[in-house]
Amino acid sequence: MNNFQLNVLGERINPGFKSTKALFDNEDFAGIQALAVKQVEAGAFALNVNVGPRAKSDPQFMAEVIKAIQAVVSVPLSFDFPGADVQEVCLKAYDQEKAGGQLPIINSIAETRWDLLDLLKIRPFRVILMGTERLEDGVAKPNKNGQEIAATAKRATQRLVRDHGLKISDVFVDISVSALIVDTTGMTRATLEGIRLIGSDPDLKGINISGGLSNIGQQLPVNAADGTNLKEQLESAFLTMAVPYGMNTILGTPWKNYKTLPEDNFVLNTFRDFIDLTGSKALKQVRRFYKA
Amino acid sequence: MEENDRKLVELVADMEEDGALALAKEMLDGGADPLRVLALCREAMDIVGKRFEQGEYFLPELILAGEVLDQIGVMTKPLLQESPDKPAKKLGRVLIGTVHGDLHDIGKNIVTFMLDINGFEVKDIGIDVPVATFVEEIKAFKPQVVALSGFLTLAFDSMRETIEAIEAAGLRDGMKIQIGGGQIDDTIRAYTGADGFGLNAVDAVNFCQQHLQAA
Repeated sequence: MNNFQLNVLGERINPGFKSTKALFDNEDFAGIQALAVKQVEAGAFALNVNVGPRAKSDPQFMAEVIKAIQAVVSVPLSFDFPGADVQEVCLKAYDQEKAGGQLPIINSIAETRWDLLDLLKIRPFRVILMGTERLEDGVAKPNKNGQEIAATAKRATQRLVRDHGLKISDVFVDISVSALIVDTTGMTRATLEGIRLIGSDPDLKGINISGGLSNIGQQLPVNAADGTNLKEQLESAFLTMAVPYGMNTILGTPWKNYKTLPEDNFVLNTFRDFIDLTGSKALKQVRRFYKA
Repeated sequence: MEENDRKLVELVADMEEDGALALAKEMLDGGADPLRVLALCREAMDIVGKRFEQGEYFLPELILAGEVLDQIGVMTKPLLQESPDKPAKKLGRVLIGTVHGDLHDIGKNIVTFMLDINGFEVKDIGIDVPVATFVEEIKAFKPQVVALSGFLTLAFDSMRETIEAIEAAGLRDGMKIQIGGGQIDDTIRAYTGADGFGLNAVDAVNFCQQHLQAA
């Protein structure tokens, strides 16, 4: 449920959620299926599948989860694991017909993990492309400002189109939303700037800009100083700024109420002040979210 | 405890940065023993840590209180050099780095900072650290604790490889290895072969303190 017209990639099939971890631990496939259905009914356009480290030690379990989900929903799936061996198992398990002919999504590729594109030999797919890291002279480097994020997104997307036959609309650039509690170097500002640059680039028209929001309020108290739910408000505050710049997809919980916050909203205004700050000033501003 | 002593502890613990810095300066200018002032700051940090564990404080308070401690530390430094007493000895050596294949550094940086303000000598060897570099650095630095950080699921394999290499180099005896970052739990700890894991920076500090007390 959201008033941003966002595409929500359902995030709940992930052992990071305690209730989902219990489903995996008990190999409760009926429970996993119910969770898939619930997300689709709440509006998810696709479902992300993350089974945690078991994907590496037991990739067939990931395949079983994919098959179980596809037995009950007809949306595409994204496979959340950064290694080619596991992705290969997932791509072979995926039944495109059951997803209404829609392609699966690999979550994720990066300039530093380009070998995953070899998997196109198995079947076509869409990709989540990490905008947060780049390869420079053969060395992996984290992107620390908006220009670096946007340049990586453009370079990698053009390479995907030119060398691998993907359409621009097959690319979801992941811009990574930082936890505010540890953002003392302007990463949130860099992320928003990256979104603005990608969203306004005519050469990237049609690209999807995505990110997970659940980090943003990590380890912060439940309530904001004005008594509202701080984490929900922070997620909406970020979207209130990012969606007009071109963000159109989130890795999120489909039944969450993401909404545009009004100009006089306390959390939105505190957030706007926060993004201009670094160092201990940023940390002091984070305290203002919850300390009256 | 004298009135000013108690007040300094309260000001640091209550996040009253300006008041704490002014009082620390006043005390030091008035001839207070700099080691005594630092001991009061550590007492305040214990209170901050307890408030964090009780859910009254959050990470920003931990870090901000640590920064106040740092600033007071800077004030005491020239006085300590003149003092016949040596500054407090470091509690132990911790080597920390993000394992190869992973570029995340935020959690590692927080843990580094927290270990430092809690009295450990910390060597941070960066991100995407190859297995061989860990082994070389351990030989040179001789840490009591090695902390492996990683956020990606892929990092669990790198942690395991790193720990296996440390063992193969005969460096594991007498040293503890902890892991942290991402979705880590005891299953992951067992998979990697680490001695402990931490969900946050306070866990990391507690692990190091416990190991050094036991050693």
